[in-house]
Amino acid sequence: MTDKIKREKGYTKANFLKGLFVENPLFVSILGTCPALATTKSLEAAIGMGLLFTIVLICSNVLVSLLRKLIPEEIRTPSYIVIIATFVTMVKMFTNAFLPELYSTLGVFISLIVVNCIVLGRAEAYASKNNVFDSFIDALGMGIGYTLAIMLMAIFREFLGTGAFTFGKIFTFIPEVKLQIIPKGYEISLFQTPVGAFIVFALILAVIAFIRNRKAELKFNLDKQEKIRKAQEAKLKAAQAAANNGGNK
Amino acid sequence: MDSQKKHYIITAITLGCIAAVAGGIIGLTNMLTKDRIVQNEKNKIKQGITEIFGENVAVSEEKTLSNSYKYVQYYYEVKSGDKLVGQVFRTSGSNMYGKISLMVGFDGNSQVFKGLSIVTNEQTYATTLVENYIVPVNDGNRDIEDVSCGATYGAKLVRDMINEAREATGELMYD
Repeated sequence: MTDKIKREKGYTKANFLKGLFVENPLFVSILGTCPALATTKSLEAAIGMGLLFTIVLICSNVLVSLLRKLIPEEIRTPSYIVIIATFVTMVKMFTNAFLPELYSTLGVFISLIVVNCIVLGRAEAYASKNNVFDSFIDALGMGIGYTLAIMLMAIFREFLGTGAFTFGKIFTFIPEVKLQIIPKGYEISLFQTPVGAFIVFALILAVIAFIRNRKAELKFNLDKQEKIRKAQEAKLKAAQAAANNGGNK
Repeated sequence: MDSQKKHYIITAITLGCIAAVAGGIIGLTNMLTKDRIVQNEKNKIKQGITEIFGENVAVSEEKTLSNSYKYVQYYYEVKSGDKLVGQVFRTSGSNMYGKISLMVGFDGNSQVFKGLSIVTNEQTYATTLVENYIVPVNDGNRDIEDVSCGATYGAKLVRDMINEAREATGELMYD
């Protein structure tokens, strides 16, 4: 019983963390790149997008998981699309009503969450096969992972493109603050353009690939050294055994 | 009834139920948010008129035009004391890149363009359109007809909306 609880606890943690790092939807699976490139001009917009995306992902994953035994195989995908579209429409209406600045900043990209591969992908690949709690944790991990990923892109793009971080412009319930870090005139406005978005995305992917390759290389070298060490030990043992046999004769 | 027919009926009913519940939830959300959305839009219109004509003006109630237009929906009269200083037209249009709604202001005694303000902008290249066309046009740094801006289709739509609003000022002047 205790082992089972321990395993489940470990599973929940791993299930949550996989969306953040190992299976990060943006940087590892390269999914949801369109809004990631379009809504990362400012950190606030990226936070807003990530928040809305996470809400839709959690709600759709939970509902799909709840209805997984009721929905016949033939209408699985259309049903999931109806569910996702419903949550996106709700989120869109609430954003328009309560966060109009965020609504006008993100514009069409709120509606485009419907066709985001991550949402349909998690519903199809995970929520339709797992219980509600696990589906919730999976969606939470993936949502936070995606939010952190687009926030990272936005930090680089806003910092390099405008030389400042601005808060309170989209989330109007907080006072407007502008932290000018790079003096005006020295910012690289290219990073505010779609080209800049591609450059930042490519550089982050390159850094991640470098780290992963380096880790794999290190592991390979360690394994190789271990094999050599074992082979040498075996050789030494064989030589000792031969010497012992020779002495006995 | 054979089992296959029964299965088809159950499948159709399930999908119908999901769609019906989804429709109901969306309707309920619309009921909860519509007043607030309308209020937000009114505030935005008021703010837009202030951006074009400044703060010391009085704005009339929404007025309708006698002719029907493609983009222009209605207008407001802007007065300073008893003197008419301008008209602001509420325009709305869409193309393959999405919808855009603008407030377009004109001088009250001529057809001189005073400025514009965005109410909603759901264009795909929204930011490019705003930065490369709407803001420079508003500041007088770009000709309204100069639409090559990186969001040309959106700019063409905005240009047509402005031109139609100018046409509508003619109707008001002849009245």
